[in-house]
Amino acid sequence: MADILLEGRELTKYYPVTKGLLQRVIGYVRAVDGISFTIEHGKTLSLVGESGAGKTTAAKAVLLLERLTSGTILFEGKDVYKFSKSQLKTQYRPRVQSVQQNPWSSMNPRMRVRDIIAEPLVVNTKKTKEEIRSRVLELLDQVGLSPDQADYYPHEFSGGQRQRIAVARALALNPSLVVLDEPVSALDVSIRAQIMNLLKDLQEQYNLSYLVIAHNLATVRFMSHSVAIMYLGQIVEYGEAEALFLKPLHPYTRALISASILTLPEDEDQNVQKIILSGEMPSPLNPPPGCRFHTRCSEAIDICSKVPPEVRTIGTQQVKCHLYDDPGVQSASSK
Amino acid sequence: MLSTMPNIDTKLKLKISGLTRSARIMRAMTFYIPVIILVLLVLTAIFAPWLAPHDPIKVSLLERRLPPAFVEGGSMKYLLGTDSLGRDILSRAIYGARISLSVSLLVIAATAFVGTALGIAAGYLGGRTEAFLMRFTDISMAFPGLVLAMLLSVSIGPGFFTVVLALSILGWAPYARLIRGETLRLRNSDFVAQARINGASAWRIMLIHIFPNVINPLIIVMTMAVGFMILAEAALSYLGIGIPPPDPSWGSMVADGRGDIDRAWWISTFPGILIALVVLSGNFFGDWLRDKMDPRLRQL
Amino acid sequence: MTTKRDIVLQVEDLQTTFFTRAGEFKAVGGISFYVREGETFGLVGESACGKTVTGLSLLRLLPEPAGRIVGGKITLDGIDILKLSKKQMREVRGKRISMILQDPMTSLNPVYTVGDQIGESVRLHQGLRDDMVEDEVISALRLLRIPAPEQRLRDYPFQLSGGMRQRVVGSIAMSCRPRLLIADEPTTALDATIQAQYIALFKDIQKQTDVAIIFITHDFGVVANICDRVAVMYAGKIVETASTSTIFKRSKHPYTSALIRSVPRLDRKDDQLYSIEGQPPSLLNLPPGCRFAPRCPDVMDICLKEQPPVVEISEGHSVSCWKEKK
Repeated sequence: MADILLEGRELTKYYPVTKGLLQRVIGYVRAVDGISFTIEHGKTLSLVGESGAGKTTAAKAVLLLERLTSGTILFEGKDVYKFSKSQLKTQYRPRVQSVQQNPWSSMNPRMRVRDIIAEPLVVNTKKTKEEIRSRVLELLDQVGLSPDQADYYPHEFSGGQRQRIAVARALALNPSLVVLDEPVSALDVSIRAQIMNLLKDLQEQYNLSYLVIAHNLATVRFMSHSVAIMYLGQIVEYGEAEALFLKPLHPYTRALISASILTLPEDEDQNVQKIILSGEMPSPLNPPPGCRFHTRCSEAIDICSKVPPEVRTIGTQQVKCHLYDDPGVQSASSK
Repeated sequence: MLSTMPNIDTKLKLKISGLTRSARIMRAMTFYIPVIILVLLVLTAIFAPWLAPHDPIKVSLLERRLPPAFVEGGSMKYLLGTDSLGRDILSRAIYGARISLSVSLLVIAATAFVGTALGIAAGYLGGRTEAFLMRFTDISMAFPGLVLAMLLSVSIGPGFFTVVLALSILGWAPYARLIRGETLRLRNSDFVAQARINGASAWRIMLIHIFPNVINPLIIVMTMAVGFMILAEAALSYLGIGIPPPDPSWGSMVADGRGDIDRAWWISTFPGILIALVVLSGNFFGDWLRDKMDPRLRQL
Repeated sequence: MTTKRDIVLQVEDLQTTFFTRAGEFKAVGGISFYVREGETFGLVGESACGKTVTGLSLLRLLPEPAGRIVGGKITLDGIDILKLSKKQMREVRGKRISMILQDPMTSLNPVYTVGDQIGESVRLHQGLRDDMVEDEVISALRLLRIPAPEQRLRDYPFQLSGGMRQRVVGSIAMSCRPRLLIADEPTTALDATIQAQYIALFKDIQKQTDVAIIFITHDFGVVANICDRVAVMYAGKIVETASTSTIFKRSKHPYTSALIRSVPRLDRKDDQLYSIEGQPPSLLNLPPGCRFAPRCPDVMDICLKEQPPVVEISEGHSVSCWKEKK
């Protein structure tokens, strides 16, 4: 277990909903509701889910952009919330960096690329101008840009190149963990492969850990070592990526995979019937009782609407579903 | 038609480039003419002592209410005629440019600085700071400016400084509102989040990341304010709580001619024309700047 | 699949150019395709490949005067729509061709009821009396399988769930039973499970009305799930046209194959993705030869000098590539 870099335990984030002049709290949006995960050194964990699942809130919590309602984040075994301000500044923030989804808005349009990449160094280190300069050129080279591009402004680059700049900035301080929030979803198809390959190469080279936030399952399968599927603020299935994609246990995971898998028109006549969920994700303000997925689940049984399922471990996977209450009973349609 | 709406974004981007020749010339004119007028006025203000043919405050009772040179009875000595005390209107207008422009620029500099600082602080820091600053701004905007100007004029006496103070004390509020709005938008932008992830201090974020990105709207509003401030100064002077006589400002010149408007129209008219020119030029130039700086229009 | 239905739309050598201060921006550089009744035709490509401009050209909704159709012919049910007057074209829009935009969630006006918004289009094109308008609106809602249409009629958009709103947008587009429906990235902003619902909805509408659909997208997964035939666009040109399964299994153009190989697949584990280096050319300054040549792994001398001809490899499968020209 020495290999764990970051661990989230029972992370919970409720946003109060207020009403009226007196800001009376009338309820809570349960954005993240008790999720736990671990990120190992040099590995990738992906949080997958549809919009409103709470994955971005979880990532923001790791980046300390959101204060959790409850739960602990352990970084190399130490409780991040117990760090002093200066400890955070020296021991946590520089080591946890991020690349954001939209390369068009994640950079200050008034700064040159040189200064954008240098920003973390200027803020966090006491390096001289010359040291920073050479580090910036080194970083540009690592992400496949040429040194003479350092003096341009962000708008002079294409989306793919900008995402390379964002990666260079994230690597400037030699971080241990990089949070990648939908790192390729804003890019063109032919450019996505370039960036995903780059990220994978860099991970190998520097033993980086990634926390990937994504909704595209194919991207996730390519990038990840382990995967957590989120639904309405909770993790419904969690496990090693390969096992999870080969044998998804939770009905929601199965529906997601079915919706994302490529089926050609002629396949449709065969037995690859698509699972099409009815309805939409309920509001996190009023999550349904029992299993949160039961309102859309085709395999729901009586108990699902009454009792929230416990986490069961099956092989390398953890699943939160009543279908697995009795370890002997496996869902008939799992394939 | 809801189902057939065109792609709005593409449409906006391409609007400008598709202009016809005459429309393009018109667009250029609305830029060059105001700029030339404003530059000439600034030069006039700077070089007033060399340009003015007469002493602006020298009274010559024998030459009262002389009409301009191009009107019957006028002489080449006083190109734009004289006022009720026989002072040269042209010279007074030239010196008046000094006072009117410097009041306007000083007030704009002071209000823009204060308003931007408070706006960024309110927008970025949020919470109680914001609530307090914004209520304060609301109060400033609701306060009757004229009453304040009169109070100041009575308590510290009329003068150049009083006018600047009276216009500045309330003038920062619109800037604070505008800049706070911009800051709120920027605060939620990805690059500010990124700066926070990097560990940048609030001070650094406000100065390095937010301020440069509010400069565009700021400059536009400042330009538009040039005309407005000249009008405000004129209004104060017209009411007699502005620049005290005998120093000329355009507003006080218009006020001076008020009683003579039926027999000596030129006393009020010429400074009036100048005020209108500057206000229009400022507004046109501001409009042009806004078009120029709109990133959606700048692309092509 | 039915064979040889009537051709609804025929596009021949369509060229659309934007005249900008920076120069002539050749967004669509001479493309030809057709769509049959009851068929879904995919227009696939990356950003700025001209797919959206093609959609706007078909409706003649280009931002004038900068954007103009400078050549080619668009025939809808035998009528050359480029020859129609502006007034006649307005008749065509919404009635014979309609369009669904990128984000179906924001294309409803929040201050009007669902009935008013669907009714607007019906009233505009069919000149019906008010009581008849309501019947039309209800039947449009029924077409999209909206439950209890008589009640939904008086709802405002905010009272509807996201899925219902999508259906209402569909009802507006289908209210006059158009012959051709253009859908520009209608699923891009949606989550996977909602996307699947929406695609099923499109298929259902088509089954009921035989409408021809042009589906503009960048997502090959969506293409596979809904389209019968596909045209792949690159830098303003169609590089390959074929049936969907041919595109996925026997594509001939290097760009098509590279694009398909560069998309990670859910049904297999890749260690390294195939990646196309470089970027598409600027439409202001196009290379003289094949537009993909600078990035093409199989580039030959002639590719850099002359534009490739369109070669029909088998029935319904044509490729614009020198490799295929024997």
